[in-house]
Amino acid sequence: MQQLRRGIGPVALALGVCTAWAPRCSAFLSVDEQNATSLFRYFNDSGHVLVRSLMGDYALKLQNDAALTLHWNNERVTVPAIRAAAGSQEAVDAITTASRPISGNAFQDFIKVRNEMEGSLDRGPAGVDYYYSTETDYLAQQLGGHFNHDFSDEQLNLSLGASYGWDAIHPLANDRSVAVDGTKNTMHWNAVATRVMTPTTMLRVGVELNLVDGLQHNPYRNVYAGGTNVPERHPDHRQRRDAFLKLNQYLMNKSSMKLSYRYYNDDWGISSHEVDSRLSQYVTPALSAEYEYRWYTQTSAWFYREQYLTTSGIDGFQTGDYRMGPLSSHLFGASLNLDLATLAAQHPALGHFGVRVEYQRYFNSNNYSANILETGLDFRF
Amino acid sequence: MTRNGLPRTLRLVALAALLAASAGCAHVRAYQREHLVDRIMSFEAQAKKDARQTKSFDAREGSTGGNGGAGGGCACSN
Repeated sequence: MQQLRRGIGPVALALGVCTAWAPRCSAFLSVDEQNATSLFRYFNDSGHVLVRSLMGDYALKLQNDAALTLHWNNERVTVPAIRAAAGSQEAVDAITTASRPISGNAFQDFIKVRNEMEGSLDRGPAGVDYYYSTETDYLAQQLGGHFNHDFSDEQLNLSLGASYGWDAIHPLANDRSVAVDGTKNTMHWNAVATRVMTPTTMLRVGVELNLVDGLQHNPYRNVYAGGTNVPERHPDHRQRRDAFLKLNQYLMNKSSMKLSYRYYNDDWGISSHEVDSRLSQYVTPALSAEYEYRWYTQTSAWFYREQYLTTSGIDGFQTGDYRMGPLSSHLFGASLNLDLATLAAQHPALGHFGVRVEYQRYFNSNNYSANILETGLDFRF
Repeated sequence: MTRNGLPRTLRLVALAALLAASAGCAHVRAYQREHLVDRIMSFEAQAKKDARQTKSFDAREGSTGGNGGAGGGCACSN
């Protein structure tokens, strides 16, 4: 019932937006082109956490330079049975930051389902989007908008974006738990410039700022401090900012190299560097392969310690989250993309399809590793 | 490292990025953009993959970001 009540608000909001847009939509609701994509994603890590994702995307080009896109994702997270105290580090963390609750039997697999949907409406240089995600103990919503403009005879494009997100956290608790409901609000801004440098080179640079207020620790996690277990506690406010640079270079043997660098910093004391490189190569006109390598390193938050001597932690804060500590990671990936559009002349039916397969191997300095497999199918009609 | 305000390193990175974007470069006409619109050169073609990847990294690492500014006109929009 509570789930139902929580769902009514967003639906009413969506209906309201549709109603408000309806008279304007009718003027350009003439379908030009459609595209549907389905994607299966399988994630498995060294802690035997499994995440199965079924995603769908639908894009509809409308008249008057308008476009509607919809995205949905059904995700099933399986956290294996544990041999550790409920609420401890061993009992948490899946790919979606889904956590094992204190309630329930920790010696049985815990299964969590997450559903998300996102819709965006673009017209000309501007667009709005709405995001909704729900799971047993978490509800996230976000409303955003963006605008971009070309300059210098389309040599340069500047884009500005902003969004507001509001999350409601309802931890699954029982008599042993101290978890209480919480909220989290996030304001996001970004500014991005994309420039054509030469006939074979493009450059993109950007800055982003996030202001986060509210519950930002794991309500299920305990920290060993002062000789006993105490609930994790992070500061309620966090200012996160980053700057990035991406360079795409076409190489003359029908391949391209994409290089990117990102610097991140926040007022919790974490700063990080990320370098990513991707090499794409056409094997045939329809088939391309891509290889990826990513390196990442970060410093720790000011309140992170390997051990806490007192139950009050550092200025009242203590964390058992390894993401707050020093960390480095590597990722290797390879993918194959088959676009059958080139066969449209000989086989019109096949020309509507595209297929993609990708494998990634991730590992970090926390003795953690993961395998990620994705398969996707595109359909244009 | 200060707890408040933009640190000098981030300001330098942002400044260097903006300078790189505004630096003088050849005027590339529409008919010269054949390679730029190729799908293996696209910023946006992999935007959804990047978004999924960022979500995965958010759950494993302490930072976030790097995907802002999806969209854009001209050859940039591909």
